[in-house]
Amino acid sequence: MTIGLDHYLLLSAVLFALGFLGVLLRKNTLVIYMCLELMLIASTVALVAFSHFNGTFDGNVFVFFILTIAAAEVAVGLAIIVALFRQRHTVQVEELNQLKH
Amino acid sequence: MHSIPEHALLALLLPLASATVIALFLRRRGAIAAGISVGAAALVAFISIILLVHGERFSTSVEWLRLGDFTVSLGFKYDDLAALMLLVVGGVGFLIHVFSLGYMHDDKARARFFAGLSIFMFSMIGIVLADNLFMVFVFWELVGFSSWLLINHYHEKQSAADASKKAFIVNRVGDFGFLLGIIMCYWANGTVNLDELSRLGAANQLALGAAIPLLLFCGAAGKSAQMPLQVWLPDAMEGPTPVSALIHAATMVAAGIYLLCRVHMLMVFEALQVIMWVGTITALYAALCAVVQRDIKKVLAYSTLSQLGYMVAAFGLGAGWVSEGVGGGPVDMFHLAPDPAGIGAAMFHLTTHAFFKALLFLAAGSVIIGCHHEQDIFKMGGLRRKMPVTFLTFTIGVLAITGVPFLAGFYSKDAILYLAMKNDTTVFAILTFTAVLTSFYMFRVWKLVFFGPARGEAAGHAHESGWTMTLPLVLLAALSVAGGWPGVFGRLAGSVAHLVPEAAGPAHATILVTSLVVLVLGGGGALLYYRTTENDTLEERAPFVFGGLVRLRASFDQLYDYYVAKIQQRFAMLLNFLEQIFLAGLIIRGLAGVVGLLGYGARALYSGSVHAYVYWFLLGAVLLWAYATGHL
Repeated sequence: MTIGLDHYLLLSAVLFALGFLGVLLRKNTLVIYMCLELMLIASTVALVAFSHFNGTFDGNVFVFFILTIAAAEVAVGLAIIVALFRQRHTVQVEELNQLKH
Repeated sequence: MHSIPEHALLALLLPLASATVIALFLRRRGAIAAGISVGAAALVAFISIILLVHGERFSTSVEWLRLGDFTVSLGFKYDDLAALMLLVVGGVGFLIHVFSLGYMHDDKARARFFAGLSIFMFSMIGIVLADNLFMVFVFWELVGFSSWLLINHYHEKQSAADASKKAFIVNRVGDFGFLLGIIMCYWANGTVNLDELSRLGAANQLALGAAIPLLLFCGAAGKSAQMPLQVWLPDAMEGPTPVSALIHAATMVAAGIYLLCRVHMLMVFEALQVIMWVGTITALYAALCAVVQRDIKKVLAYSTLSQLGYMVAAFGLGAGWVSEGVGGGPVDMFHLAPDPAGIGAAMFHLTTHAFFKALLFLAAGSVIIGCHHEQDIFKMGGLRRKMPVTFLTFTIGVLAITGVPFLAGFYSKDAILYLAMKNDTTVFAILTFTAVLTSFYMFRVWKLVFFGPARGEAAGHAHESGWTMTLPLVLLAALSVAGGWPGVFGRLAGSVAHLVPEAAGPAHATILVTSLVVLVLGGGGALLYYRTTENDTLEERAPFVFGGLVRLRASFDQLYDYYVAKIQQRFAMLLNFLEQIFLAGLIIRGLAGVVGLLGYGARALYSGSVHAYVYWFLLGAVLLWAYATGHL
């Protein structure tokens, strides 16, 4: 069996769905954060596959940018989570509900 | 040497300057304020005499305001009519200022009082000199304001505060008609300049109709307190007596007559008929009311009303005069210019009335001061010996108003009666009867105040007033004697004097006999009938007549009270109710409620739960995707 574009895209879709469900359903901020990263990775898988099967470098270039931005985002996001934990002594989302009305 | 228009401008602005200086710097310096105000009045009187003697008559005008095609200008029209009126205002005004020096000597708010007199002089001179109706209206409102200010001088007294408000509001009713009249005149003729209106009138190009003159007459009726707007004048006696003399007897209330004479070119037959009857009925009604008054100033106030009615009637009587002069053939009633005889008689009586009524009021003020602010004539008596100067001058005033031959009132009243006799027998009969009543109530006051025993403690200790009060009395008495002599009035009034109708031949004899009979009947009746006791003889002997007259006097106030309390107030409550329900309730509160509800709903979305936000985000993303791909 040869592995074609469809398989890569299927993998990407599954990863994205896992990430998305994780964001929706998990309660721990760190886990939600990792799920967000999973969704980003899913999209990069699709882009790399497109790049490979099209024979162009466009997708790969995109992936570099996405990884760079994801690294910056992780730095900021984790810092926020650490600061939040210091302040509130919890990272459970249902307890982080001060931002309302 | 300045030119003549600058003199007129100076006469207008001096009192304003005086009022401004007093209001800004001298509010606590009563003596200096009084000096400045009297000085300004003296200069105005001086200028008015110079202008009169100089003989030059002019019209001048500058543009004040331009709004598109519509311009408002300020200007002077100084003709013989204005010269006469300026002299009356300046001369009588000055004498009353001097009298006030004595009368208001111990008043706490002397500075405010004199500032008020000055602002009044400014406003009144503005009316006299104005060359167009808009300017007249501006100063018309200003005299209303100064009248309000001065009636309200004793503002801590509730009755004075009420009276000033009443005067202002009643005048506003009349002024509304006046303003409509001015606007309508502008709309119909394209100008409100008096000279241009005269020119159009001479060329028969005026848009004539009864509406414009009648609306303008509304303003005159308010200021001159004609029926049915007469209710404010008797109440206005709450002000200090010099104010009553200056504003509510000699000058401001005469402004209505003056206005009518200024706009005579707009008059038509029907309007003049209305004016004539309003004047006649006012004259009769006020004379009847005066008979039952106990307050010396109220008697004089009703007397003023009655005499103003005479003047208005005299003006209205100009109408029939012309139709007689045309002689035979159908007369085009719509295009009859009013005969100037009405103007002559009205202005003649206005002038003599200003002299003798100011005299009577000031003498009454002297009596009031002498009796320590007692105003009830039944508590006075026997003042003849204690206040000889006041007695003599008051007597001259009484003789002048009742028309004793060779005094001022004799000539002017006879001119009006003659005019009435020629034109309208009914009016003549009513005015003659009014003259009987005038003699009756004037001699009643005269006898009760100066004769018999002193009936009140205050009257027992009465004393003559100082020279600042008696000197104006003497001067005004001289004017009340001589003001009607043809030689004197001819000097003062110039061409206006030629308009005064003069009876000749048998008519002359009829009028002379009539006025003498009237005088003897009314005056003798009062002297014989009234006893100098503490009670009103009429009330004791004929309570039915007395009660009837009292009810007649009160009827208008009761009617207006009923109207305001029962009709207008209820209508206002109904409007308020509707406003509360619809405007405030449905529209304002309703809109706020809808917005509030929306906000309440939107607030519920903002729950603080991150998962809820993600679901909303998902929904948004799906909708966006659907829209972008054309599924939506």
